[in-house]
Amino acid sequence: MLAVNPTIEKRKLHVLLLFSLTVGVMGVGLLSATMGAYAIPFSAVLSILLDQIGVQWGEFEPRQATVFLQLRLPRILLAMLVGAGLGISGAALQGLFRNPLVEPGLIGVSSGGALFAVLFIVFGDQVPWLVELTGSFGLPLFAFLGGLINVLLVYRLASMAGKTDIALLILAGVALNALCGALIGLSIFYADDAALRNFTFWSLGDVGGANWTKVSIGSLLIGIPALVLSSQYKQLNALAIGESEAFHIGVSVQRVKYIVLMLSALMVGVGVSMTGTIGFVGLVVPHLIRLLFGADHRLVLPASILVGSLLLSFADLLARVMVMPAEMPIGIITAIIGSPFFIWLIMNVKTINNR
Amino acid sequence: MLEASHLHYCIGPRSIVKQACFRVKPGELVALLGPNGAGKSTLFRLLSGEVIGKQGEVCYNGKPIPSFSSAALSKVRAVMPQSSHLNFPFSAREIVEMGLSMVQTRRKDLVVEEVMELTHTLEYKNRMYHHLSGGEKQRVQLARVLTQIWEKQPYARYLLLDEPTSSMDIAQQQHVLKIVRELKSRNIGILAILHDLNLAASYADRVMLLKNGDVRHQGPTHEVMTSAKLEEVFDHPIQVIKDKERGNIMIHPVPHQKENQLHYHTA
Repeated sequence: MLAVNPTIEKRKLHVLLLFSLTVGVMGVGLLSATMGAYAIPFSAVLSILLDQIGVQWGEFEPRQATVFLQLRLPRILLAMLVGAGLGISGAALQGLFRNPLVEPGLIGVSSGGALFAVLFIVFGDQVPWLVELTGSFGLPLFAFLGGLINVLLVYRLASMAGKTDIALLILAGVALNALCGALIGLSIFYADDAALRNFTFWSLGDVGGANWTKVSIGSLLIGIPALVLSSQYKQLNALAIGESEAFHIGVSVQRVKYIVLMLSALMVGVGVSMTGTIGFVGLVVPHLIRLLFGADHRLVLPASILVGSLLLSFADLLARVMVMPAEMPIGIITAIIGSPFFIWLIMNVKTINNR
Repeated sequence: MLEASHLHYCIGPRSIVKQACFRVKPGELVALLGPNGAGKSTLFRLLSGEVIGKQGEVCYNGKPIPSFSSAALSKVRAVMPQSSHLNFPFSAREIVEMGLSMVQTRRKDLVVEEVMELTHTLEYKNRMYHHLSGGEKQRVQLARVLTQIWEKQPYARYLLLDEPTSSMDIAQQQHVLKIVRELKSRNIGILAILHDLNLAASYADRVMLLKNGDVRHQGPTHEVMTSAKLEEVFDHPIQVIKDKERGNIMIHPVPHQKENQLHYHTA
């Protein structure tokens, strides 16, 4: 018998992978910090960062510090948080529905979140006490509610006697997406706030409006749920064999369902309320990880967080640099990278699986 | 003891399982036999706790199923359904490990290796599950289910099998039933739905015959597996041959004698 302990070997590989992905995320973050309409040299970025923790090293101009700390850093962090939320909720929803086609955008979570965010902005004034009471949390929480309503609706429509009909699921998602899209358009039509008339923000996404308030809300309402969700790897692994099988193994299936649906709706809803709907991340990220490293959720879930952050912060970088000094909606970038890449993946699924 | 008392289950006006009462003791192998649509699978789901009926109850070691959490239930019974379909690329070994996902054990690797060796699945442990043949998949699923109850426990446990050998060749079928029979000495009671009457006759301690949701006959194998009882349940002439040398019985469904008895309207 081989003396190598397979479990320990596998775990070492996982740790190594996650570590390299973390390094990758930080690398893209640093690269992104230096580039843009106003370039900041790498050394200046480092010295600004060190200055924040009280270490004097190198030189930077005060203007560089302002741009970096007030505009660029929150933007990078927000893109990472939203990407992380999309990545892991895509992975978890795919695991829950036992189908690799599911994506937060496809089953209506994103559009539900966007609709409720728009409703809150347009009609929030009519209920001043609600706006007063919830403060900065009002918008993200309302978007969460919208996402949750949609995901529960879709789930109800598609599930019968513990089995999920994937055709029904996707049809229900398509219908809800169309309805929400139309209602968003209608609400924006009635809105007098000029900024809100920007329909592309809600359909294609934009990380431009980032600030530290959004980043802190994001860390709280996306970061923490993402970590909680990645603890559900055993349950999602068991669910991959089947709902009944998971129950036989000892998983409380209902509980996992609620955890995944609630937390995904929360992360996606909060993300949508801050950056609009960004497609493809939730679909491509978990796929990529499964194809390259296998389907074990112990790796897929945390890796989806990291790859999601990496992908979205990189897409944001491209969105800022490609048509400088203007900016492109980030959704265009994710779709331009995402769709051909996805087609390539589909075409290579067989060869990769047969290795 | 696994005990079902007055289990009754209806879908609409149709009763699928009618007032079923029976017991499975730890250390015995009970075969559940019956024609298609007799209600075997529904009864199986009632026993596994997947479906809770409105009437009657199922008790494991004296406690009714609803009083167990799913985690607690998984410690007293393991279940192997007929077939499991996967959409994600898991390796055979990963599937087997899932049997232990809710079990606290330090000897995870040891248990997995031992069970995979026993079920002859170790040789393809790193292959992707969806590339395996039907029989290989079934053995991987059996290995997964076995890991769940592999480590000895001070209380009685139960194993429910729904046609565990349906895709296997003869040698594999015999091997699997041998493995299952060995479990009896570990204070485990087994209930298996079997399609092959001869497998049931050679390995089961007791047999239950189900027809139209009724448990028509139950008892020791040689008492229940008589041609009269089997014919009544399966609606087909069945010969039961006693092999005096080996002391077991052989079941022979009598083929239709005359040819050209079927009349078609279209051909």
